[in-house]
Amino acid sequence: MSIDFYWRLPTHGCHNSLHTSGYERGDWSPLKPGNIAPGLGRDGEPDGFTYIDHLAEIAKAAESVGFLGGLIPSFPNTDDPWVIAPLLARETRSFRFMIAFQPGFGNPVHTARMAASLQRATGGRLLFNIITGGGGPAQLWWGDSFAHDDRYGRTSEFLDIFRGVWDSPNVSYDGRFYQLRGGGLPPLLRREEFPEIWFSGSSDAALRTSARHADYYLSWLEPFDQLGDKFARVKERTAALGREQKCAVRVDLVARATEEEAWRDIRIGFENVSEETRQRWRGQPTDSVGASRQAALRPTDARRYDELIVAPNLWGGFNLLRGGPALGIVGSYEQCAARLADLIARGADAFILAGTPHLEEAWRIGEEVLPLLGRQARTLLAAAE
Amino acid sequence: MTLNIHWRLDPAAEPRRSEPGTEHALPAFIRDRRAASRNRFDYYVQVARAVAQTAFDGLFVRHRSEADESRIIAAIIARETPRLLVVPEFPASVGSAVYAAKQAATFQRATHGRLDWAIAAEENAASREAEADFVPDEDLRQRLDEFLTVARGVHRDRPFTFQGRHFEVLDGGFEAPLNQHRFPKLFLQGEDDGALALSARHADVHLFAPGPVNVLGERIATLNTLTAAEGRQVAAGLIQPLLVREDRDGAENDVQHLPLASGTLVASYDEAADQLAAYAAAGVTELLLEAVPTLEEAYRVGQHLLPRLRARTGAARKAA
Repeated sequence: MSIDFYWRLPTHGCHNSLHTSGYERGDWSPLKPGNIAPGLGRDGEPDGFTYIDHLAEIAKAAESVGFLGGLIPSFPNTDDPWVIAPLLARETRSFRFMIAFQPGFGNPVHTARMAASLQRATGGRLLFNIITGGGGPAQLWWGDSFAHDDRYGRTSEFLDIFRGVWDSPNVSYDGRFYQLRGGGLPPLLRREEFPEIWFSGSSDAALRTSARHADYYLSWLEPFDQLGDKFARVKERTAALGREQKCAVRVDLVARATEEEAWRDIRIGFENVSEETRQRWRGQPTDSVGASRQAALRPTDARRYDELIVAPNLWGGFNLLRGGPALGIVGSYEQCAARLADLIARGADAFILAGTPHLEEAWRIGEEVLPLLGRQARTLLAAAE
Repeated sequence: MTLNIHWRLDPAAEPRRSEPGTEHALPAFIRDRRAASRNRFDYYVQVARAVAQTAFDGLFVRHRSEADESRIIAAIIARETPRLLVVPEFPASVGSAVYAAKQAATFQRATHGRLDWAIAAEENAASREAEADFVPDEDLRQRLDEFLTVARGVHRDRPFTFQGRHFEVLDGGFEAPLNQHRFPKLFLQGEDDGALALSARHADVHLFAPGPVNVLGERIATLNTLTAAEGRQVAAGLIQPLLVREDRDGAENDVQHLPLASGTLVASYDEAADQLAAYAAAGVTELLLEAVPTLEEAYRVGQHLLPRLRARTGAARKAA
């Protein structure tokens, strides 16, 4: 059995450190001395680099240190993964591009053609994180007014066609949301490997659709026992359909040489969070079940960082420090490795890890944490025998 | 008026080139150390670099349902050519107009604004249905109109709200930094008056098919009338397939060996330069040239025809 480790490409800029709220990497904050991609040259003029140049550095770091590839997230104010992947295709060698994609946004046949073209350009390094959740105002921003459960029906039909035109040159389909008559990818495109499908979403509708279509069920980190139960349910439900589905966790780490150093960085970051940031994150409307579970932590109301320690090495305030989920892992290299081993013991087959800043932390976690995980996991396996 | 001259790549042309498994086989005794990772995109990139090195202004990438997708090709070649303008052609059936505009924003950000858009001509109903597109013939123009309204709208306005028959947005629109580059220039095409009317509302350039200079001149006049009524300006472009050689005999001789697109200009370099200069004098400011094999002909046209054409149109500009 092997475990797959992915990194994450931050598509909304990146911070210099967890201590700061500015995006010194990329152009989401004003350009000033010390910024990167774009930065300022010796003459004080923009240096001509753009954010894609920094993403290229992160992708190369991740592939150098042993990550299989990286998740490329997509939100209203991020860069787009369908463009980032081809831009970086030829300057990376093994890095796999996990495109976060909402199926409703693309025609399924044309999207299959784009995917197969990317497979051809990269030697089969494409995979998908299919997203259906979200909702409310965010979904209307994208021009998508479908109700929550309708969106899962549409995702399911989209994936039927997406896979159908890959498998056969002549497919017809008569669904509620999509119709197709005599469609199929051309032979050169069809001979490419069909990309792995990772699926997110915590509602019943999501779990149902995932069991049918996905290779991996991807969850944000939740309290370990709760997550273990969820993974068991996913695997059980998929097995009932005669299929197999693996489980994956997307989690941020703050890994330092000692636990004290790790919590010190969390404390400083927490104390530097502005009231404006708390207000922005407070009460963001959504009909996503996953987001609601995380919101129950109420990190925006905490006055001290240690009020948000929900279990050993588990901190629930990450969304105050940067966009994304609230819960993450904090500790020494050994402790971080041990928590990842705990997750493997609870059914995790794969991980999407991240840390801030993404470039330096890819190296740190790849060099310091993942090698220890080997020892921890072996001990774990030995204890089980 | 500046004349912009572009080359056009057809990803379905020369299908065996850099296509592992279908390439011409070498005899076994020839030591073959080509990398296993080579692929079709090596060829696209080679064409793009040829086009940049021979001083074309841009490279169009055709939409071909039987080949690699144009926007994926465009992003890959843009990263490998520092200055070339890249113009993928795609149909309005690709999906969400918001999503297409957002992808364009990332492309512009990463390439210092080197993306323009060409919208593909609509295919027939059977071909569209094979693409999961069941919008009937009579609605196609309306859909394209809405697609372009929404794509440009979310790029330009925040908040942007739109309720159409095919697209709908509520409180949309891009924020900084996604909106800080220009929206792609829009190249539309089509020969009938309806196509010209749509271009008058949305296009930056309307692309015409080849034809006699006087006929083209009349269509440009019609376009200008429609455009003026909208209070806009739309440039005229021409898609011109070529078979040009050092002299006319050579060109006519090669006609026998090549399948030619309709309207192909078969001529010597000097004759072709005269003819294209005449189009420019009639109001054409954007030329899309194409010939096969794509790579070799880009060099030929770039080295022999472009200098002649630029000399003529430059001289014409000075005289005016």
